[in-house]
Amino acid sequence: MIKKQWLQDLKAIPFLLPFFVAYMIFTIFPIFKGLEMSLYDWTLVRKIEFVGLENYVNMFTDQHFWRTLWNTTFFVILTTPTMVLLALGLALLSNLNTKLKIFFRGSFFIPSILSVSVISFLMIFMLQPYNGLVNNVIQMIGIDAEPKWMADQGLAWVTIVVVTLWWTVGFNMILFLAALQDIPESLYEASEIDGASRWDMFRYITLPQLIPIGRVVLLLQILASYKVFAQILLITGGGPGGATRPLIQYIYEVGFNQNNLGYAATMSYALFFILLILSIIQLKNQRSGEN
Amino acid sequence: MSDPQFSNEAAVRVKKNKSTVLQRNRDPKLGLKVTLGFIVALIFISPIIWMLFVSIKPNGFSTTQPLEWFLPPYTLYNYVDIMFGSLIFRWLFNSLIVAVITTVLTLIITSLAAFAISQMKFRFKNFIFIFFLLGLMIPGEATIIPLYEVAKSFGLIDTYAGLILPMIASPLGVIILKSFFDNVPKEVIESAIIDGCSYFKLFYKIVLPLAKPALSAIGIFTFIGSWNNFLWPYLSILSETLYTLPVGLPVFNSTYSQAYVQPMTANAIASIPVIIAFLLFEKQIVKGISFTGIKG
Repeated sequence: MIKKQWLQDLKAIPFLLPFFVAYMIFTIFPIFKGLEMSLYDWTLVRKIEFVGLENYVNMFTDQHFWRTLWNTTFFVILTTPTMVLLALGLALLSNLNTKLKIFFRGSFFIPSILSVSVISFLMIFMLQPYNGLVNNVIQMIGIDAEPKWMADQGLAWVTIVVVTLWWTVGFNMILFLAALQDIPESLYEASEIDGASRWDMFRYITLPQLIPIGRVVLLLQILASYKVFAQILLITGGGPGGATRPLIQYIYEVGFNQNNLGYAATMSYALFFILLILSIIQLKNQRSGEN
Repeated sequence: MSDPQFSNEAAVRVKKNKSTVLQRNRDPKLGLKVTLGFIVALIFISPIIWMLFVSIKPNGFSTTQPLEWFLPPYTLYNYVDIMFGSLIFRWLFNSLIVAVITTVLTLIITSLAAFAISQMKFRFKNFIFIFFLLGLMIPGEATIIPLYEVAKSFGLIDTYAGLILPMIASPLGVIILKSFFDNVPKEVIESAIIDGCSYFKLFYKIVLPLAKPALSAIGIFTFIGSWNNFLWPYLSILSETLYTLPVGLPVFNSTYSQAYVQPMTANAIASIPVIIAFLLFEKQIVKGISFTGIKG
């Protein structure tokens, strides 16, 4: 029996090995490599010297680090509640009893399968002052204004948030929509017999039934928003004056423009722990939703 | 997260919807709600429609009258011009090659690993599975700087392999496929083993065909994810000829600030394949999302 056990182990190895190797090299090993790098003065070309915790000390006193971490957090605060509400609203529209609902669902979802480069440059061209489509439409309906969507600090945030909502809401909408369609019809039938109004049904049946998926969407959104980078880099470049620059962009600039991979790895660790804690909460939440 | 019977569930859902139509009273405000939905859907899709219309306008076209964008004359000349007169075609090819190979390799290695964990008996199985599960919690964005160093030491910077290999070990794929394989009826497996079927034969002749829905969902998400991946190609590719579309497009588009037609044609070229993929596989995509609940 014992002899057979190692034979069984041997048979499993060819099945497990390809995944295991790729996983070890590209997912697990970089975590430890990052720890090593964060303890060194390390350039794009080579590691220079061991500096102990100096990078970490620098990080805690680096105002750019705190500023960009705040910008990222601000983005999370702005996008999370709006995303959940918009996703819910669009799911309700896509669940209406009409033949158009396929068109609704497709329209809400298609932006989210497009590349970040496509949606960013689409928006840059649409939002240009003087001859951009959006400003021209605004003027066509009689409002005499020329908003600078990417150059004004407040408007730059509005632009980033609205573009992100438009681009990524489809995914969350599908999650809500699936949950909506899973609500047992008998609940509505019973309440109808009891004389409940449509609003009552929504308030006392639909909404409570959507709370578990709502929690999932909320946490997924926080997690995804902390990783924000590409659309901000491409649309505002982090501007005006660094007002919208997120942490990942700063990490990139320190690593690749300032040639300081050691410090970039240190800040990546800070991000790593924020995201790790959030995803542990997320997985726990999802697990408890299942049981 | 792991509900292996989503195809059954979907079937039940269809039935349920039918009964909804028959039984529930008509919503008196339905017309109003549908109108609202129609307006919102139009707003959502209009940038994409605009992009497609601009891409078929004559070169150099610009207007401050919004409606004029959508009126003729039309031409497909821009597509020809950009495909043959710029690097876009090369980048399209790179994106396609990278996405296809990434998808195929992901499906192969995740299904092999999932099969072993689901159907084979070996020591430390649970430990290995939990070790793979941990990968779900590791955010790629936060390990990308050390990943760059790792890729550099393997000579993977500025290569196709460097774009592909770091993306293929998907823990989520293993988890989804394992729960699918777990549901293959025990009798089927046992009788195959009694017939002297090897594990490998069992894998690709019997278990794999039964997991087609999961494989296609994972395949579509991997493909779209790779096609649109920005951060890693942006860091790891230095030569213009090896850019993928998401990295190349900003370079191409930045050279135009006032001309609309070329950038929008380039955007359309990058978008049309995924839009077609969406229209073809809409059902699998929608099912796949509600099944996993996790971004691809």
